[in-house]
Parts: sequence; structure tokens; C-alpha cells
Amino acid sequence: MASLPEVETPRAREVVTEKKRPAVGEDWLAVWIGLFVFILSLALLFGTDLLGWTITTSVWTHPSHALVPATKVYAKLSPGFSLVATYLFLLAILLVAAKALGGNLKRFAQGFTVVFALSYACWFLGSWAYIAATPDKRAGLKIGWSLSLTNESGFIIALIAGLLIGNFFPRVAGFLKEAIRPELYIKTAIVILGGFLGIAALEQRQLATSIILRGICAIIEAYLIYWPIVYFVSRRYFGFSREWAVPLASGISICGVAAAIATGGAIRARPVVPIMVSSLVVVFAVIELMVLPFAAQHYLAGQPLVAAAWMGLAVKTDGAAVASGAITDSLIRAKAAASGIVFQPGWILGVSTTVKVFIDIFIGVWAFLLAWIWSTKIERREGDRVRVAEVWQRFPKFILGYVATFLIVLAVGVAIPSLVPKIKASMAQANVFRAIFFLMTFFAIGVMSNFRRLWQEGFAKLAAVYVLCLFGYIIWVGLFISWLFFHGVLPPVVKG
Amino acid sequence: MTDVPMLEELERMKQEYEPLLPVERQLIWGTFATGVVLLVLFLLISRALA
Repeated sequence: MASLPEVETPRAREVVTEKKRPAVGEDWLAVWIGLFVFILSLALLFGTDLLGWTITTSVWTHPSHALVPATKVYAKLSPGFSLVATYLFLLAILLVAAKALGGNLKRFAQGFTVVFALSYACWFLGSWAYIAATPDKRAGLKIGWSLSLTNESGFIIALIAGLLIGNFFPRVAGFLKEAIRPELYIKTAIVILGGFLGIAALEQRQLATSIILRGICAIIEAYLIYWPIVYFVSRRYFGFSREWAVPLASGISICGVAAAIATGGAIRARPVVPIMVSSLVVVFAVIELMVLPFAAQHYLAGQPLVAAAWMGLAVKTDGAAVASGAITDSLIRAKAAASGIVFQPGWILGVSTTVKVFIDIFIGVWAFLLAWIWSTKIERREGDRVRVAEVWQRFPKFILGYVATFLIVLAVGVAIPSLVPKIKASMAQANVFRAIFFLMTFFAIGVMSNFRRLWQEGFAKLAAVYVLCLFGYIIWVGLFISWLFFHGVLPPVVKG
Repeated sequence: MTDVPMLEELERMKQEYEPLLPVERQLIWGTFATGVVLLVLFLLISRALA
């Protein structure tokens, strides 16, 4: 007889180990780390370059040309020194986070060292010209062919490396466990991304406003179009109990792990139920991440923002959705570049992130509503009261960081237009860390995804609902609605 | 604590099937209908502003 395995997501750990709940959650830590990097990068506005020493990777034909410090001020630094300094900087920040989360610092440091080294090695490999160079860059690099995957193919390589470790080297995965924190990494990246998208919004205000308006529709789609149908199918046709159907519908429809756990808690499901659903969500998110961006490049290259919204709506878990947006961004821009159209980078990623963030915002409200319906209409118990404060408790706080960096950049840029070039340079520096956090997210998602669970006895029925609803309903409805709202809307084109 | 027999769970669900309550049906079709109406409304607004 099969047993439900433990799921190692940080969110899941939070639920299981109520007694060990840390004083500061991952969401707040992501806000502080993201804001810290953001503020350091803003020193450029005052003429001080505090982050220019960080390592960046260019598309290379010879390894010695790959690594360089982020700005020319630090051009004399050796790339090796720059790489080690970047590693030590991140290690120091994340050790503070690990301490706040009550982790084992020694094990975290050991695990993080491997995570960083392998992730960065994947980034380095993914930047090899024969893999990364887009057709318009081949002549400059003196190469005759390339896969045109851009250097963000490093993300896919990191995911594959993580999957190999997670599925074939369980001891290594166990050794890395303390540093496998994809939610912390992706949320930090999203906070930093807010500033980067603020720049994009400054340059294209009308388009940005339109995207935000359309992002609101994503909330309706996830909560009111997806959720009821998935709940109905799992209850009516698969015979799942309410305790299982609610987290399952939330996991498949809204935002994977967080929604499954929040709504599972709201209806007082046993902790194991949302945790079980979460493990399914993580595994399927990886499958989507591996398939949908390439499908989008193939079929939606002419409609980049339809593809972007589709990623945000169809791919579950924050990490995988934003990661899919990043890959789609690079793949579609590469394909467009081959036909002579150079889209500004970041818009596709920006739309995917905006859609996902809008969906996340309402998890707390939805959990509150379900808690109210369950306690007053379905499972009435003496003394049950739903507190409004729970909406705030369940609110994904990292979104505050994302909104803050976005608004700060927008406000400063609108108030003092002459500062825009400097803000742009600042955000380019912060973006180096965003890319590294993305990389580590991909790697960590891979390590966490244990595909063997899918084959476990008894697990198939749960997976069947997931497959049917995700691939038979959500993906297609998501595509249709993305098409309705984003059809004909294109990212700005780089001139010259 | 998470070591729960999955097959037992499924068997239990089959034996103790919980039929859909009227309030669940209201929740399902009420939210779905609201979603469709709101989407159409937003689509119209979005087209009007474009």
C-alpha cells in the first residue's frame, strides 16, 4: 500500500511544523532582501556604484570572454574575484534569512554553495554562443549557426540539472535540502523585478496601464471560471470529498502551493491533504514549464503578450509561472529577431508576472470566503468564527515589495524625468541579482520535483483530475481568454 | 505525520461519498456565472479604452 510522501516545499513545511513557525516568514524575508538589493542599486542616483562589482555573463564563444563585472567602474576586477564576491554577498544575505527561518546555518551554507555553483555553471553553459546567440548576433560572434535560445536557456539547463539531482541522486538532494528554497528565491526576484518593470512602465505608460487593467481579468478567470469547474469535476465525476476537492481545485486553478494550503486551512482540511496536492502541483508545474513556453514560441510568436498572459494564467506556482514568462520572453524575442523585429526585453515576462501577482493577491480573500461558507453553511460548528484578520494573515506579503519597487521607480521617474537614465542603470544592476535568483529558483524547482511520486499506487486518481482539468480545460480557457484580452497588443520595438 | 495511506483515503471517499449539497451547487454555478458576466464586462471596458 502506498503512503503519502512528505512534500518538501517551504510552504508545506510551514503547515506541518506549526510549532516551529519562524517569527518572520519567507514572504517578508523576500521583501527585505529584494528591497535591500534595490536600495543598494539606487545608490547610482547619488553617484555611488555599490553593486557594479557583481558578476554578469555575456554570450560567449571563448570561456574567457564570458564573465565580466556588471559596470565599467569595476572593469579591472578579475571575473573570478567578481564571481566569488557575488557568491559571498548572496551567502551573507541568505544566511541571515536562513537564521530568521530557523534553519541550520551550516547545512544551509553548504547547500547554498552547491546550489549557487551549479546554477551559475548552468547559466555559464547556457550563454555559450552556439546555444544562446540569436540570428542577428551570429555574424558579430563569427558563428554560422546557433540554437537561438538566448542566454536564458541557462534557466532550462538549471531546471534539468535540478531534475536529475532530485530524481536520480536523492542523497545529494538531501544534502542540498536546507538551501532548496524556490519560493524565497522567486519572491525575492519578483520584488527586484518590480523596479525593472517600473522602468518599462515609465517608457510605455499607456501600454502598462492597459496591461494592469487586463491583469485584473486574470483574477476573475482563476477564481470564478477555473475554480468552480475544477471543484465540480473533482466532486461530481471523481468522487473526491470536500476536504480533498477544495485544495485540489485551488491548487489547479489559482496559485498552486499557496492556494492549496490557504484554502485547505480555511475549510479545516487535515494538513496532509493540501500538502499532498502541493506535491502534485509542483510536479505538474515543471511539466508545464518544460512544454508551454516552447508551444508559445511555436504557435504564438506573432502574439507575444497573449503568450505572456497565458503563462501567468496556465502555469501554477509563482516560481514556475514567472520562470515560464522569462523563457517565453527569450524564446519569442529570439524568433522575432530572426525575422528582423527586435522587441524590448522584459515585456513578456512583465505581463506573465503581473497576471500571476494579481491572482496571488486574492488568495487570502478567497480563503476567507470559503472559510465563511464552510463554517456557516456546510460544516457548522459551535464557536466557529471567521476573522477578517485572516485575509491579511494569508495575504502574500512579497507582493508589497513588488508594488513598492514598481511605484518608487515610477514615481521618481515621473517626478524627475532627468533621472530616468540613471534609474535605468540602477535597475540593470539590480537585475543581475534578479537573474541569479531566477536561476536558483529553476534549479531548486528541479531538485524538489520527484516524478516517481506520480507513479505511486493510489496517486493516479489525484493526478487524473489534475491532468483532465489542467490540460483539458485550464490551458485552453486560459489561452482563449488571453487571446481575447491581449490579441493585437505588442511589446514596444527597439529602434535602430 | 504525513504518512497517510493513500489507497485507504480513496477507499474511504468511495464508501462515504459526500453528495453535492445545494449550497455547493450554488457556489459552483453562482461563481461561474458571475465570472462569465464580469469577463464580458471587462472585455467591453478593455475594448472601449483601447
